[in-house]
Amino acid sequence: MMSISSSLTDNLDQLRERLGNSPDIIIRKFTLMSAQIQVAAIYVEGLIEKAVVEEFVGHMMSIDSFDGKHPEIISAKDIFAFMKEKARNVSEEKIIKDWDVLFEALFSGNTILLIDGIGEAIRGNTSGGEVRSVTEATTQVAIRGSKESFTESLGTNLSLVRRKIKSPNLWIETMKIGDVTQTNVSLMYIHGIVNDKALQALKKKLQAIDVDAILESGYIEQLIEENVFSPFPTLYNTERPDSVAGNILEGRVAIFVDGTPFVLIAPTSFFMFFHAVEDYYQRFDISTFIRLLRFMCLIISLFGPAVFIAALNFHQEMIPTSLLINLASQREGVPFPAFIEALMMEVTFEIIREAGIRMPSPIGQTVSIIGGLVLGQAAVQAGIISPAMVIVVSLTGISSFATPAFNMALSIRILRFTIMFVAAFMGLYGISILLFILIAHMCSLRSLGFPYMSPLGPFIAENHRDSIIRVPLKFMSKRPRLVNQKNITRMAVDKGKRGDSDES
Amino acid sequence: MKVKWIIQPPIYMVMLLLLTSCWNSRELNDMAIVTGIGIDKAPNSDEYRVTFQIVNPSATATSVGASTGQPPITVYTTTDRTLFGALRKTSRKAARQLFFAHTQLLIIGESMAKSGINGLFDVFERSHELRLNSVVIVSRETDAASVLKILLPIESIPAMAVVKKNKNTAKLWGENRAISVFELINTITGEGEPVISGVQIYGDLDKGSKKSHLEQSQVEAVISLSGLAVFKEGKLKGWLDGPEARGTMWVQNKLEQTSINIDSEKEQDSIAVIINHSKTKVKVNLREGVPVFHIYIKEEGSINEIKDFVDISQRKELYKLEKEIALKTKGEVVKSLQVAQSMECDIFNFGNELKRTDPKAWKTVKKNWVSLFAKGELDVHVEAYIRSTGMRSKPYQQNEE
Repeated sequence: MMSISSSLTDNLDQLRERLGNSPDIIIRKFTLMSAQIQVAAIYVEGLIEKAVVEEFVGHMMSIDSFDGKHPEIISAKDIFAFMKEKARNVSEEKIIKDWDVLFEALFSGNTILLIDGIGEAIRGNTSGGEVRSVTEATTQVAIRGSKESFTESLGTNLSLVRRKIKSPNLWIETMKIGDVTQTNVSLMYIHGIVNDKALQALKKKLQAIDVDAILESGYIEQLIEENVFSPFPTLYNTERPDSVAGNILEGRVAIFVDGTPFVLIAPTSFFMFFHAVEDYYQRFDISTFIRLLRFMCLIISLFGPAVFIAALNFHQEMIPTSLLINLASQREGVPFPAFIEALMMEVTFEIIREAGIRMPSPIGQTVSIIGGLVLGQAAVQAGIISPAMVIVVSLTGISSFATPAFNMALSIRILRFTIMFVAAFMGLYGISILLFILIAHMCSLRSLGFPYMSPLGPFIAENHRDSIIRVPLKFMSKRPRLVNQKNITRMAVDKGKRGDSDES
Repeated sequence: MKVKWIIQPPIYMVMLLLLTSCWNSRELNDMAIVTGIGIDKAPNSDEYRVTFQIVNPSATATSVGASTGQPPITVYTTTDRTLFGALRKTSRKAARQLFFAHTQLLIIGESMAKSGINGLFDVFERSHELRLNSVVIVSRETDAASVLKILLPIESIPAMAVVKKNKNTAKLWGENRAISVFELINTITGEGEPVISGVQIYGDLDKGSKKSHLEQSQVEAVISLSGLAVFKEGKLKGWLDGPEARGTMWVQNKLEQTSINIDSEKEQDSIAVIINHSKTKVKVNLREGVPVFHIYIKEEGSINEIKDFVDISQRKELYKLEKEIALKTKGEVVKSLQVAQSMECDIFNFGNELKRTDPKAWKTVKKNWVSLFAKGELDVHVEAYIRSTGMRSKPYQQNEE
């Protein structure tokens, strides 16, 4: 570690050299009238709030007034002592002796004061600059519930949750990950509710990360997940503060990464990916119905085309006679086997979807017109695709969008192709074999050491109040077991008595 | 090693598609869906003449492509000494492999029925290609092939139309019932004799098999359910019609709904009653070596039409009508029993009933059950109830007296 030298010119030269003369590094030099001593203020353009810098620098320089208020200050040491004193009043003062610390402070939006003749620097937090304001959630939309979503600023994100949980037990731990990017990663949990084992495991994993850059929470997710080759995501991500609040109140840990609105939550279970925050805001009957609908959509989007192919190619006797004749008449003249037909349509659908995302939004309309009209209708009229196949593929496509968690929806989509493939050469027999393999695999998955399929495998009857269905809020008096071990009661069943071991 | 991991899975997948694994995968465009099978006796030989009614998918109403002008079905006929042989021999004529899982209808020609049907059904149980739930019907006064050739309006697939007709009339009129191959085999192997619904063609057979006859409001040929074929030891013995057929259904407890006309004081058959619930219990026992058939029928119905005046707001009038219904029912039941006795055909499964309730007694009469059945005494009890008089009580025609 290199320490700061006492010569200002040396320091500034060193600074310029090490930063490659980057123009966004602003160095302002002052000469204090009273003592003829040079002082430099250094900050990075864009990372600071201009007014705060002005105030900070002005405050620091108030030593240098024409009225000669402080005639006794004549040496650099005196100035440093004065500034140190002043800095305490402005913002959290800190003395920097080391270059690495200086740079880190500089790029976090601090203003650094260097005084000629002093081998130490003073920093003042002046961070600010342009950040995106809190807007409505775009990926996890809810009709009812808070409209705000996370932004790219870590501080804003933490405060959004803090505003919802005004408890001293809401603890945040921050660490820096990424050798080059020095990204701030914060863990948020509720002390006393969080599962300590999970927390320790998570911290260990985060500390073990040795990588140059963390640009998004996806990096963290991929670096800490246990089953890299599983098609299923084991960490949940959300951009909704209320979702984070709800999850940490159940004993989970939220991982905030600076620079992304997506917050990771661990440990997870498979069913979490099919829950939306709105489930808790709507009444239980509606929520239960919608959840069941989502699981139905899961089944459709996984098995829809596969079962259709299997029935068409292997199990024609299972189709009601009039439907079979109908299908046969539709397929009359279609030159491809059902599997190829389905594959073509599915791939087309994926292309339309992907193009729709990547395409600049003004021409997004064109994709839907070309996709829907030309490929759907024209392909049928041209006799290349049977209308029933279009129905099956579009139903599957729509169903896959009913999964609230987008990363889960993607996994399902990939699995769908595998299942289709198996269905094409082994029929329902193949589908059931693959289903067995999938279920076995899912039961073996762990998220931060917690069984992915809980509360189904291991079976925990109590937690089924909030898994596939949701019971009325009044009966959801316990936090999920496994995740939560010591502080399990969340609701006063009889007023005044709050469960077994509430204090921790 | 790593390369192996990346390359191997796709290779296996492609191999799975290309190699033998799709051996029983069949595309819809490669199969001919058989909806009806007709079995006739080939004239002057022991061979079966088997007719297949095959759906022509491009000509059904839902077709997307250009209409071909073809009829919705086509018919192939093949002769062979076995049924399965005939099934496979048809491949010489049909461009696609016949697919039997959706066979709705099995028609047995009258000639075939007369020469015996007991040996016909083994292939239905043994071969995985055929199904046991096809409905069996006997063609009356015509051969099975002719029935399968007739094109019918409304239902575009005639075999399905015939099955629907059978089920429909079984539900609403009650002289027929749909019997499946499975039930038929059970009856043949049991102690009783089977009865099978019959169909008859009314009209011109040649015109009826042309599509043009559908282009008029009254078609040239109609297939109609007609009576019940009674078999004895697998051979067609005779036909039951009208009240006899309905009486049979009543005894067999297969009656779902029917409508019977009863007499008022002045006019015969002037009141229509719909029987919408009927339950029959049968008891068979031996009295001095002669079987006695106890039949208890409980039926409920409602009045749907009254042609002259009956004051049904009076309870005693309703009682009278109920008695009348019971009498009429009893008449039909007794008639059917007597006809069956005269044919010496235990179509009611009385033998099975006795075997079930009194196996010891059954052993004593088993050998000459047929003649004993013919001599059996009848003991018929009918309870009839009128549960409703429809949407009005007194008829609008007032009593002239």
